[in-house]
Formats: sequence, C-alpha cells, structure tokens
Amino acid sequence: MSIKADYFEVFGLARKLEIDPEELQRRFYEMSRRVHPDFFQTGTPGEQAGSLERSALVNRAYRTLRDLVSRVEYLIQLEEGRETKEGAAGIKPEAPGDLLAEMLEVQEALQGAKADGLDEAARERVKAEHARLLERRAVEEDGLRVLAREWDGVGDGDGNREALLERMKRVLAARAYLNTVINDLGEALGGEAQNHVSHRRH
Amino acid sequence: MAYSEKVIDHYNNPRNVGSFAKDLAGVGTGLVGAPECGDVMKLQIRVNLNTGVIEDAKFKTFGCGSAIASSSLATEWLKGRSVDEAMKIKNTDIVNELKLPPVKIHCSVLAEDAIKAALADYRDKWGKKEAVAGSKAS
Repeated sequence: MSIKADYFEVFGLARKLEIDPEELQRRFYEMSRRVHPDFFQTGTPGEQAGSLERSALVNRAYRTLRDLVSRVEYLIQLEEGRETKEGAAGIKPEAPGDLLAEMLEVQEALQGAKADGLDEAARERVKAEHARLLERRAVEEDGLRVLAREWDGVGDGDGNREALLERMKRVLAARAYLNTVINDLGEALGGEAQNHVSHRRH
Repeated sequence: MAYSEKVIDHYNNPRNVGSFAKDLAGVGTGLVGAPECGDVMKLQIRVNLNTGVIEDAKFKTFGCGSAIASSSLATEWLKGRSVDEAMKIKNTDIVNELKLPPVKIHCSVLAEDAIKAALADYRDKWGKKEAVAGSKAS
C-alpha cells in the first residue's frame, strides 16, 4: 500500500459511494494488522516510520469512509482535485436562497424567544422547530443516499458526473445550514436534544 | 485559537446590528451563507437615491466570532461610501484590519459576498431610479 493511496485504494475499493459497512470493517482490521507498528519493531528506522505513517493513513481512511456524509465530502474533494489538475475550477455551490432566509428566520425567532426568557410555551415552540428541522435533515440525507446510488451507476467520462457532484454539494451545503440551526436550537433547550456535534463554532 | 483584539471588540460590541424593511426606498439586501460551516449572514445598505451615497448599513450574522466581526466591520466601512466605492471593498482588506488567521479567511470572503449581494440587489431594485436622478442632475 502506497502512502499516496487515496482512501478507497487503501482498502482496495472502487471509488463508489455505496459501501457495505461490514466489508469495510473487515478490510480495515485486515489492513490494520498488516501495517501495525508492532510488526516492525525489529525493522530499520525507515521501516518503522513507514509503518506508523501507513497505520495513520489506514485509520484516517476508515474514519472517513465509514460515514456516508464524510465519504461524499471526501469523494468531492478527490474528484475536484482531479478536475483542477485538468484546469476546471471547483465551483462553490450556489447558496440555497430560500433555505438561508428560512434559517435566518428561525434564528431570529430563537433569539427573540431567548431574550424573552424562554418560557414554557416558547420552549415548546423551540422543541417543535428542532424536531421539524431534524426531520428535514433526515430528508436531505435520504436524498444524498439516492444521489450516491446514482453516482455509483455512472461510468468514467459520463457527462452526468459533474452534475451529480454539484447536486451532492448542494445537499451537503443544505445539511450544513440545517446542522448549525439544529445545534443552536438544541443548545437553547439545554443540550438534551443535541445529538450532533460535528459543527465547529469557534 | 486566539482572536485579535479587533475581532473581540466587534464581537462584544457589534456595530449596526439590525435590519431595514426590504422594500424601503434605496435598500439593498444581501443574504449569503458559508456551506463549509453553516454560517448565515444578512447585510443591508440604505442608499440615498439622490446622491448615490450609502447612508446606513445593517447586518445580522449567525456564525462564529470572525463572521460577526467581518460583517460588523463591513457595515462600518460601507457607511458614507458611494455604491461604486463600496464595490472596491475586498475581503483581504477585512483580513488585514481584523488580523484574521488563515482558517478564518472564509469569514471575510463571506462578508465580501454579502456586500456584493447587497449592492447587486440595490442596483436591481433602485439602479434605474438612481440613473434618472443622476441624468437630471447633469
């Protein structure tokens, strides 16, 4: 396994988005064993360092590929890296205007409710909003699964590839906006409803 | 991550928070978002239709400290500028002023996008009226 292998190559997988989680785990264990630093304790310093690097790569690859969203993010990065080399610039997905306006509205309502001390009625409203947006996010994620299957069906050099990447990027963007608001609503409720921590607000 | 003093100042005392009614005379609205982190930024300008000068600017940003500081600073810079001068504000100016670290540069890009969007919306809605006012004056 080369240090320069992409995450799919690490596990000998084709660049496809539908991955059987059990199969991925099996290959992860196998690769982990094969590159484990313990096997190289008597090796040269170069071999030891190489083993460490490979272990780290195998771990990173597994963490990235086992979750559909991070898998799609990674695939987009790979595909766009390739595009850039060929001269085409990666396109930032156009902000979904309606969604942005709606998220702003929800945030403003939340801010108002918090300023008023968040009484029982307001808490109920925030809870309902939180549940509604969790549902929305689930719908987006279902959409991403459909697009992932479509992606796996198109061959190299197919004109649909770029359009599919664009659509996946749009879903990821929508999901990011939803995540932020879901987290903020969850925080206002005291964190009990918060089950998503991927958002990084510094 | 350490924020610069200017970021902290804008974060603690954001200037020009608020909004104008979208259809108020001379108002342009920009609504943009950062898909990388889910931040949402609304920036509005209110232009004097006789002079073409931005008399007031307001923003609402739901995002990190750097995004809030970038948009707060942007509204300060917009006030008193003509629409053409406002087009010249670059994200790098914001980066320099706020000393944003590389990981926060996208916040300044977002602010520049918001300015551009607000100016475009203003031109869309009120550009013709400004041109009429301008031709009358000449």
